[in-house]
Amino acid sequence: MTADRQRQRFQEVVLPHLDDALSLARWLTGNVTDAEDVVQDACIRAYGAIHTLRDGSPRAWLLTIVRNTAFSWLAKNRPKALIVTSDERVFEQAGMERLDRSAVATPETDLIKKADAEMLMTAIAALPLSYREVLVLREIEGMSYSEIAQIASIPVGTVMSRLARARSQLIERVVRANGGKASVA
Amino acid sequence: MITPPSWSSREEALLLVNAYLDAELDAAATLDVERRLKADPALKSEYERLVGLRASIAAHVPKSTATPELRRRVEFIGAPEVSVEPRVPQQHRAARRFDWRQLAAAVVLTAGLASGATYLGVRPGSQETNVAALIAGHQRALLAAEPYEVASSDRHTVKPWFDSKLALSPRVVDLSSSGFPLVGGRIDKIGGKSVPAIVYKRREHVISVIATPRPGDWSGGEAATRASKDGYALLLWHGRDFDYAAISDVAEADLDAFVALWRSEELAK
Repeated sequence: MTADRQRQRFQEVVLPHLDDALSLARWLTGNVTDAEDVVQDACIRAYGAIHTLRDGSPRAWLLTIVRNTAFSWLAKNRPKALIVTSDERVFEQAGMERLDRSAVATPETDLIKKADAEMLMTAIAALPLSYREVLVLREIEGMSYSEIAQIASIPVGTVMSRLARARSQLIERVVRANGGKASVA
Repeated sequence: MITPPSWSSREEALLLVNAYLDAELDAAATLDVERRLKADPALKSEYERLVGLRASIAAHVPKSTATPELRRRVEFIGAPEVSVEPRVPQQHRAARRFDWRQLAAAVVLTAGLASGATYLGVRPGSQETNVAALIAGHQRALLAAEPYEVASSDRHTVKPWFDSKLALSPRVVDLSSSGFPLVGGRIDKIGGKSVPAIVYKRREHVISVIATPRPGDWSGGEAATRASKDGYALLLWHGRDFDYAAISDVAEADLDAFVALWRSEELAK
């Protein structure tokens, strides 16, 4: 591929998905400033690796690079964010306990609908990285399970369980926050 | 599409309800989940919570939007190898042998990437990028009270001033006898990098000579490259250890004469 063609292809592939790339990086790094650094770094990698893009989705290809760049960035700048402690296992347990609880129809559903932006964003930010990643790829980026599996290098079954747990955790938090408000009011 | 093996546990039921919400199930599994949701009020309310959560996220969690600045930085990736050189117009074919532009663009790119500097609003990938940066420095200087930071007609004052400020010592030649008095020096930012700018006058016009350090050897004698933008004329040439750019709004013939004198002085050294 000539340099000219390489750059043209890079621009065709990357520029339409720049907002998506930034959204993913923003949720992985936690803020927009760091996300911009990650995206720029990822785009430089994408430019160098443009020949590795074959017939697949350019968006999934780019998001894979952004995801991996974000993880490298986190390893360097936020090493604690990457440590999967026993906390996560405890959290998974807690998540499952909640799932196991047989609930009948409750006002919780209404509370979830009343969630405001700040509450939701705080709750998403508080998710363990591995859950947050899957949730953001699904709910913000609209990726399919198989695309998420490919991007995060995990089996589809793991995508399913992480997504279910991420959502349960969010519901838990939102209901707690909103329930607290309701009881005050 | 996912086919569930069986309803072995509550957890699995919930995974499948999630997959149902995400439209990831095959037809048979979809029907199976729908039957279960009808028969199981607890599962049904769990499903409704998931629907509510999805609606809340869609309503309240915005996508990030790349700023024009970030977009420009990304558009610029890969520019030096391709867009700076091959797009040089035919009449400036000489510029193809002249790597000044490429070098300067590479400096602009590297410094810009490192510092997050803007590219002065110039369309990235254009061959004019570094020309625009050079002119912008000259224009900024004209807007200031004086186009220099150190005022001196003595090159033995200007040269050490650069040395003390930048640890760079570009050639400062005296052309006052030819009608181009030295008036001082200043520091310009080209692509985030501080470089010396030597300031001369021609009657009431200001001529800036910007010196960009260049590693590598020098054969001397190559023709200068001409460019112009926004009414300013530029001449770019290789010197010993530096690449130089002379920028002014003087008549083109005056700028040619100035550069010719300047270079002959340099060669004489």
